[in-house]
Amino acid sequence: MEEQDKLKILKELLLTEEKEFADSIAQKVEELTKIVHQKKELSHKVDPIIDDKLEEFVQEIPKTLGPTITEALKEEIKNSQDAVVEALFPIIGKMIKKYIAHEMKLLSENISKKTKQAFSFKNWFRRTKAKVQGVSEGDLAISDYAKPRLIQMFVVEKNSGILLADYSPLSDGTIDKEMVAGMLTAIKSFVEDAFQGGDQNLELIEYELYTIHIQNFYSYYVAAVISGAYNMMFKEVLEDQIIDFAKNYISSKDLEDSTLFTKKLKKHFADEIV
Amino acid sequence: MKLSKKVVLLGHFGVGKTSLFRRFIDNEFSQEYKVTLGVQIKKKIVQLPDGRELSMIIWDAEGHSNSEDTRKSYLLGSHAFIYVFDLAREETYININKDLEYLKENYTKVPAKVLGNKLDLVNEKEISAHLKTNNIPFDCLTSAKTNKNVQDFFSDLAEEITK
Repeated sequence: MEEQDKLKILKELLLTEEKEFADSIAQKVEELTKIVHQKKELSHKVDPIIDDKLEEFVQEIPKTLGPTITEALKEEIKNSQDAVVEALFPIIGKMIKKYIAHEMKLLSENISKKTKQAFSFKNWFRRTKAKVQGVSEGDLAISDYAKPRLIQMFVVEKNSGILLADYSPLSDGTIDKEMVAGMLTAIKSFVEDAFQGGDQNLELIEYELYTIHIQNFYSYYVAAVISGAYNMMFKEVLEDQIIDFAKNYISSKDLEDSTLFTKKLKKHFADEIV
Repeated sequence: MKLSKKVVLLGHFGVGKTSLFRRFIDNEFSQEYKVTLGVQIKKKIVQLPDGRELSMIIWDAEGHSNSEDTRKSYLLGSHAFIYVFDLAREETYININKDLEYLKENYTKVPAKVLGNKLDLVNEKEISAHLKTNNIPFDCLTSAKTNKNVQDFFSDLAEEITK
């Protein structure tokens, strides 16, 4: 036996266990490699199918789940309308405010541009006034339009709320004046009763772009609906005119004849500056 | 000359004041009950037998268990009161004499008409007898639901307050 064979036999005798261990590891590595390889293969085959299906599902959502979701949302909104409106109100309010501010700016710029192009004494006067006051012509023109104006006037019997006379410098409108007079009286009575202010009277109602100026007399009151910026100066002029009318033109007979009262009211306020 | 009169509907909660109001003015009726808060006002032009027209301004006041609790400012300046009770609910008319007395004392010149409503829920003969036996005054028995006697009642009232 040669030296090399002896060494081989010795190696086999001494390293049998290690060899078996190494073989088992090699086998496991081979198995794992196979699994990984298989998964990669599987993934390679399955992934496009899953992707397609997912895409299809996403595309189908509006058709399949869409109606159900829409229906559920509709139902939810219908059941809690107040809550929805409550939540939207401040957001919409803010948006409208921003929109109006933006539009007013555009309007002012537009007016300035147009007034510069057109010549008239009115425009010339406004231009001079704007220069003196240090404001833009557009702003001045807008403030002219925001001037307080009398829209409607009611003379109402205090207790019953019955309309005694009415006047509108504009058209007669479609509102039922008798019902407005009744409701105004009900609101007035409610406020005066509810807050127990003794003999105090409700004198002003504001809503959006309108103000209702109320002037009280012994058995009737006058309600004047004003559009535009109702200010102290206008209030004083209006008060004086109403008092002047009541003092000089109204007698107890007029309170019993609404046709005559209305004629007098129309005549008086058609000539006055309000 | 234009004629306008204020008429106030009074009575307990749920006796049908608003239903009568709607039946007379809009000729509508709804089974749904919505409590009136404060007051609602509507107008109807009534043609009088003599050819004149009356603007009847009707104030439908919120219901109260007794007339004293009705906001006084709603009653001031009225040309007539209509005290409504529910024929099917005795508690709405058991104290009627006390309520009418209060109105008579405080609003001497204002006529108060008493109206038993919801006639469709009771037997007319039986209820009339029952009311008479118990000394419950009434001017008319109506049903806002079926419109029985409603238009006639208001027409008669219009005539009376414009005499």
